[in-house]
Amino acid sequence: MRSDLDARLLAAHAADDRPALIALYREASEASETMVARRFYLTHAYIYALEAGTTEAPALRAALVEMGAETPD
Amino acid sequence: MPKDQQRDVLDAVRAPIEMARGLPNAHYTDPETIAEENEAVLARGWAALAVGADVPEPSDCKPLEFLGQPLLLLRDKDGTLRVFQNICRHRGMILVDAPRKIEGAIRCPYHSWCYAKDGRLVSTPHVGGPGLNSHPQMDRATLGLIEVRSHIWRDVVFVNLSGDAAPFEDIHADLLTRWKEVDKPVYHGGLESRFTLEVDTNWKLAVENYCESYHLPWVHPGLNSYSRLEDHYHIEEPGKYSGQGTYVYRQLKGDDGQVFPDFEGLSDFWDEGAEYVALYPNVLLGVQRDHAFAIVLEPVAHDKTREHVHLYYAKPDIDAGLLNKNAEQWKEVFAEDVFVVEGMQRGRAAPGFDGGRFSPAMDGPTHLFHAWVAEKVAALRAEKDAL
Repeated sequence: MRSDLDARLLAAHAADDRPALIALYREASEASETMVARRFYLTHAYIYALEAGTTEAPALRAALVEMGAETPD
Repeated sequence: MPKDQQRDVLDAVRAPIEMARGLPNAHYTDPETIAEENEAVLARGWAALAVGADVPEPSDCKPLEFLGQPLLLLRDKDGTLRVFQNICRHRGMILVDAPRKIEGAIRCPYHSWCYAKDGRLVSTPHVGGPGLNSHPQMDRATLGLIEVRSHIWRDVVFVNLSGDAAPFEDIHADLLTRWKEVDKPVYHGGLESRFTLEVDTNWKLAVENYCESYHLPWVHPGLNSYSRLEDHYHIEEPGKYSGQGTYVYRQLKGDDGQVFPDFEGLSDFWDEGAEYVALYPNVLLGVQRDHAFAIVLEPVAHDKTREHVHLYYAKPDIDAGLLNKNAEQWKEVFAEDVFVVEGMQRGRAAPGFDGGRFSPAMDGPTHLFHAWVAEKVAALRAEKDAL
């Protein structure tokens, strides 16, 4: 992960800034070079979105299903 | 104490009131006796846990402890209230540690398993390895939150921890019938209409005191001017509930003579009648023409009880001044009882106390409660002896 993204993620965790966490983990997923890493970070984005009940949660889940990281409904 | 002597003691409690003795000290002081009693009277029946007003809106949740068990009151997005064990099905981590609104899902703070507001397990991140959120051996459908059997009546949330009690409506059919006329929608008066008394006593002593009118002229002298002892009657339903009624209920009036709106469709009896019932085991209910209350007794320790008092009205959005005046009035009355229930608890350390004698004329409702506890404990012992 890029060091500036890592720093922003740590700052978002420290501030418990959920919208930022969702966005940053999504960004981390998109920036990852391996499928394992892409799934890993997108899972975190999805979990925080699911917890917050945001409108992007279903789309994140669908993306995880597409990646084989999550079972379809 | 040998088993035969234990039975003798419980038989003495269940004897006719003229000869009966009260529950012995051990039921108020001895952890082992109280643990057995808790199973018999609190876990195996329908115990009051909370009120619906504790989680007034969809998605509200509140963690609670009852008999040492971590529980979670949770209202789903459609408003249905359920009670769950407040633990993740993964490693048993406590899920919710403070009352709050669940925005989307409950996320376990440990490994982030997520539960929907109806208890379904909806996400298990990395359970199949990094970035793999399912595993063929992990069937989410079987790993939802563990629901505790519950029932809501008059906004009181009852739970049956053992899961095998007869239905609430069957056990309490008599009171449901008795109070059918006053069983109307009730509206919690809000923040000022709830208060909690922390009392250094066993929860049963609060029931015992509430049941009888005998103490009223001495402990609540303010009642003497308009509500005399002879204006009260006993309410006695062996094995179910007991309490007292009055024929001289007087409505509270505001500075300009305003009163609370009445519950609709009541018969003339309720013009000045009111009833106060201890619904076994641990909730104290009051009904009057214009408001009601529920006191949920939380057994914190053998000598500590939280009395959660909630006042309810026939309509929402009532004048706050009158609501507060009523709450203050009840707070004063209930606070007057604290020294007696605490004094009786301290008295249970006296080895010479043999459970006490009941006035055959005045203590019937209290004796019924003792007899009910003794009956439940005896039944549990007989069941275990038969194993």
